[in-house]
Amino acid sequence: MTDAFVALVTALADDELILGHRHSEWTGYAPHIEEDVAFASIAQDEIGHASSYYALLADGPQEVDALALGRQPDAYRNAVLCERPNADWAFTLARHWLYDHADDFRSQTLEHTSEPKLRQLVTKIRREERYHLLHADYWMKRVAQGPVDARTRIIPAMARAFAEVGGLFEPFDREQEALEEGLLTVDSPTLRDRFTEWASSALDELGLPGDAARATAPSEFVASSSGDLIAGDGAPAEPVAFTSGLGGRRGVHTGDLDELWRAMTTQYRENEGATW
Amino acid sequence: MVTPAIASVAAQIEAAIWSALEAVPDPEIPAVSVVEMGMIHRVEVDDGNARVVVLPTFTGCPAIAIIQEEVRRAVGLVEGVRDVDVETSFDPPWTSDRITIGGREKLRGWGLAPPSPGMVVIGDIGLPATATCPFCGSTDTRNDSLFGPTPCRAAYYCNACRNPFEQFKQV
Repeated sequence: MTDAFVALVTALADDELILGHRHSEWTGYAPHIEEDVAFASIAQDEIGHASSYYALLADGPQEVDALALGRQPDAYRNAVLCERPNADWAFTLARHWLYDHADDFRSQTLEHTSEPKLRQLVTKIRREERYHLLHADYWMKRVAQGPVDARTRIIPAMARAFAEVGGLFEPFDREQEALEEGLLTVDSPTLRDRFTEWASSALDELGLPGDAARATAPSEFVASSSGDLIAGDGAPAEPVAFTSGLGGRRGVHTGDLDELWRAMTTQYRENEGATW
Repeated sequence: MVTPAIASVAAQIEAAIWSALEAVPDPEIPAVSVVEMGMIHRVEVDDGNARVVVLPTFTGCPAIAIIQEEVRRAVGLVEGVRDVDVETSFDPPWTSDRITIGGREKLRGWGLAPPSPGMVVIGDIGLPATATCPFCGSTDTRNDSLFGPTPCRAAYYCNACRNPFEQFKQV
């Protein structure tokens, strides 16, 4: 097991664990019963995926727990977007849509990774993730075509989430080695550009134009890869900068992760070494 | 050197293990065995040491640990087995197409619509196509949610007999 392999799998696992934990916070609070069940189920999937990724690095379930719950916040390598609080239903849906599609781009390339165990796991996970993509697409369509209230909520929520999506494609520690070893077949910046190009056109198709979305975002968050999106003041949008939402892959997080970490690890810290 | 006699003993033990596994239920769907679910990929016996490869249905399924333990226990009771090794593998990935014809019948009898072949098919409004109601056999049904009470189920409603029901997900 190389250092690059550990770094790659840790980033994958931490994204799934941290976002899975955020999704689980809807349990008992979602706007209606089917979504309560849906987010509980998606959370269970994501945390299960994290557990399976950690298992590639661990020797037995105790070590999986230690990786998931026994580290300090600055040892986590998840993207900042994953640790952001759920805020409201609109932000939850926007992030769900962006994350699951970004994860789809990423995992598609990992089907060609040089490491067989990772390849097999990713192949399995992608079959399950299909349901997440369908769920996210269904909801985005529903709110995008829905009443005015839905659109006025989803537009700024998407702008906020989109501004930090670059963090999912921030190169991780030892990425160069991972590329040389064939663990990764596409570098993160290339993948980010492919994803943002797709996402921009998908948003246009949904009638959620990037220009309207970005009209409410601070100007440094204004970002578009297609170049044909218009900023709030009518000026052409700047090319993608994605300077926000970065740091997670280096362990530089926001206070939001500290808050999440305290809740997520309470049981583990209070019962150190317990066998579950 | 493996003599034909030893090989045939191993084959007999192997067959006995498969029969024993047919009595191990899926803990979440006890009407169906782990064999009918298509979860047993391979059984190998070498000099009384049994090795069983289990394919998890869903990566996040909390029943995996229970299934491993139940498989270990059942195989350990088979005559001629000294030691049992239960492994999980994602190679090949478990898919819902692995559920046997008999297993599908039992799922239906238990009130769970069996999965349709292949990956999930999407209808006009972005939700899965209809499923056949396990209670009345009608196809006049609608999908209420892509998700259900366990990772492997989706929620439906039957317009004909007016029962909510679940379908095993197509993965």
